[in-house]
Amino acid sequence: MKQDYFSANNIKFIDYKDIEILKKFLNPNGKIMSHKRTGVTAKNQRALANAIKHARFIGLLPFVVK
Amino acid sequence: MSDAENKDNIEAKEETEANSKVYEFGYLLVPTIAQDDAPINYGNLKELVSSFGGEVISDEMPKMINLAYSISKVTSNVRSKFTTAYFGWIKFTMSPAKVLELKKSLDLDPKIIRFLLLKTVKENTIAAKRFARGETYKRPIMKKSAENETAVPINKEEIDKEIDALVAV
Repeated sequence: MKQDYFSANNIKFIDYKDIEILKKFLNPNGKIMSHKRTGVTAKNQRALANAIKHARFIGLLPFVVK
Repeated sequence: MSDAENKDNIEAKEETEANSKVYEFGYLLVPTIAQDDAPINYGNLKELVSSFGGEVISDEMPKMINLAYSISKVTSNVRSKFTTAYFGWIKFTMSPAKVLELKKSLDLDPKIIRFLLLKTVKENTIAAKRFARGETYKRPIMKKSAENETAVPINKEEIDKEIDALVAV
């Protein structure tokens, strides 16, 4: 993913409920992929990390995949 | 006296409307609630939000989901573990001061396992599956060929002249 996924798809607000999108940015262990790998802009990467953390808290995404 | 009070009230109301922000309340309800009773709890939560002066923008019914990990909660000295729960959310506008009160009352609710209170935007934030790969730009091949055909009308005299000129050299 070289281009910013969110600006390419015209997503202005990254929602914690949208787990199908958030899952794309997790590695097989359930960790958040690095900025380098995602190619997302710095601003969106911060928002993405927050959204993933909210989704984890409410039980939609795992903290770790064993 | 009453006039002044009314004025104050109106001003206060306008202030709260101007200060009100968009919030989202996502929650997990305990799975011990029967399937038929889930809508009742959902209605109660909506009423609770509006009782604090919140205006509901959009919401979703609590749906049974499998949790990504087991969540435990202690209620009245009994620890219970949950692997499934009803997940629902409500989006509303409210003044920041009232949200704190709402949070306090939600903290006491025994039917809620966990909840999130977030600032958000008014627009629908769920990106539906409208971003299919097939919608990418395709070159209009057919049109181009049609344009070329119409753009070059054959003029025999001009071609003859050009050929003559070439032959003469």
